[in-house]
Amino acid sequence: MIKGHNKTADMSKRLQDMLAGARDSAKGSYVIRAVGVRKVYKMGDSETHALRGVTLDVHRGEYMSIMGPSGSGKSTFFNMIGGLDKPTAGKVYIDQVDIAQLDAYELAWLRCRKVGYIFQMFNLIQVMSCIENVMLPMSFAGKDSEEARERALEILDLVGLRSRALHKPAEMSGGQQQRVAIARALANSPDILLADEPTGNLDLKTGEEIIDLFSHLRDTLGITIITATHDLKMLKASDRIVWIEDGRLARVSTPEEANIHLEEVH
Amino acid sequence: MGSRMERTIGKQVKLPFRRAVQISLRGIRIRFGRSLVTVSGVVLGIAFLMSNLTGQLIKKAIAHERAQRDTVNMMLSLVRAEVGSVSGKKIAVAAFGALTEADRLLLEQVVAAEPESVRGFGVGAPGVTPAAADKVGEGAALLLVLGEAGRSEIPLSTLATGMRQRVALDSQEGRVYAGTKDSSLRREPFFGKESDEQIQRMRQQARAERFRTFWIVGISLLVTVLGVANALLMSVTERFREIGTMKCLGALSAFIRTLFLIESSLIGLIGSLVGVVVGALLPLIAYGFAYRFDLVFGSMPYGLLFASAGGAVVVGTLLAVLAAIYPANFASRMVPASALRSTV
Ligand SMILES: Nc1ncnc2c1ncn2[C@@H]1O[C@H](COP(=O)(O)OP(=O)(O)O)[C@@H](O)[C@H]1O
Ligand SMILES: [Mg+2]
Repeated sequence: MIKGHNKTADMSKRLQDMLAGARDSAKGSYVIRAVGVRKVYKMGDSETHALRGVTLDVHRGEYMSIMGPSGSGKSTFFNMIGGLDKPTAGKVYIDQVDIAQLDAYELAWLRCRKVGYIFQMFNLIQVMSCIENVMLPMSFAGKDSEEARERALEILDLVGLRSRALHKPAEMSGGQQQRVAIARALANSPDILLADEPTGNLDLKTGEEIIDLFSHLRDTLGITIITATHDLKMLKASDRIVWIEDGRLARVSTPEEANIHLEEVH
Repeated sequence: MGSRMERTIGKQVKLPFRRAVQISLRGIRIRFGRSLVTVSGVVLGIAFLMSNLTGQLIKKAIAHERAQRDTVNMMLSLVRAEVGSVSGKKIAVAAFGALTEADRLLLEQVVAAEPESVRGFGVGAPGVTPAAADKVGEGAALLLVLGEAGRSEIPLSTLATGMRQRVALDSQEGRVYAGTKDSSLRREPFFGKESDEQIQRMRQQARAERFRTFWIVGISLLVTVLGVANALLMSVTERFREIGTMKCLGALSAFIRTLFLIESSLIGLIGSLVGVVVGALLPLIAYGFAYRFDLVFGSMPYGLLFASAGGAVVVGTLLAVLAAIYPANFASRMVPASALRSTV
């Protein structure tokens, strides 16, 4: 990765010009760029084409929702742009850096500090208390535990769960667990929050609270938020909505257009 | 590396080893029930190993003790054949070189049989009065010559000076004495040499015994490795999601591997310690009931027992680490996305 980097950066500019085409924003304002991302899962003889070439730019500080039916490839796309898996073909750039060029240490750094992940199943570590869960990414970043504890309490305060710091995940409701997961994702002040169906396991009201929390975070911290959902009601806060169907990017719209679309359906 | 890349993406720090120990210790404590299951795998394997080792030691010790007692009984009956009852008689003892175990036991028995006196030359034992070489035999009914040395600088006749009955029982048949032979003095060995046939048979028995021990120990080691590897693999499989989550939060693969290796070595250490204690106590108690406790505990070579225990702990810990290498590598190499997908 030492040798070809400058060349790669040059090439990425050219590709960007070619693929992003008419889009006028300054190049530095893209926080994530996916270019022709494909993913094929091989299971014995059968192949699943989960992504069939997705090209997408994400602006810094934007709240993007990714819509699509179950099995359309949303989670796969998240894994690719979050550095959790490698695409079969295509490139992913985070802050202009081709993440395929990163070594294990840089990838871990990226997952630790650049991106915060939130999952449908919360994925809290069941055997740890809330505050320990929130402190875990900080300890991976090498922060000493006193500093980490204070920061964890601050973030838990931000998501309204400071008083529950010592509870175990199993003692909390789904909405509360998801808020702990958000606090954990925020632990190392990431630039990007990736949330894969964060409200999928929550009831409508709790789900809306989570979405409100996301808008609040975007407004106050300027974090880029990308969230996947198949629930149209979760779209109102987003700046842009990206529709994925059968591993392809079908269209991009604003919430207003999406509402029109929704009304047409009914 | 390009300068821009340095600015945007850094390198993850390696956590200090101490931190890994802390995290895995906490993991073990928090998952106490699960850890107990894993530990019990090690305990079983090592207890099996240790009980075999202890059983062998006990059997050998008991056999030795029995052979010893048989020897002493035989010696005593020879003594009785010469003098009738020892009680009320004067007995002379001379020793050249260190006393063998049988010598010592015989002496104890003779002293316990309440003779009028036991005078000894070159022997320091309770109940034995030291005397010069030419005084030791005064008025004695019997001279016992003991000790390992094959040669004596003192003529037998000097030792027999003034004896009432000029008979010497010698624990070494081939012992050579200085001076000329005194024909008025009768010298008998306690017993003759074992025949070549006997020695051959004993060698064969020892070889068969050694083979059996190797076989049993080998099997028990195999049981241990399989038990530990199985337990650790299960604990890795159970934690796929957790491993995936940790990777998402920035854990390095090397850290995950270290975590599992530390965990397994701690589990191996604790399990082996418990296993060694259980494995040593069980046969001690079982043989204690089967024979007699004083015989089992009295004849036990404790040095060897502790050495085997130490060996078993080292082996158990090493095996646990060995068994963990595959699961730990497996866990650390998992792509976070697929680790997260698993629903175990
Ligand atoms: N690790 C995997 N192995 C095999 N097939 C997979 C894997 N992950 C996803 N898929 C398949 O890829 C397709 C897209 O899945 P996914 O990205 O999870 O969709 P979504 O999140 O939109 O529901 C599905 O057909 C799914 O079965
Ligand atoms: Mg999904």
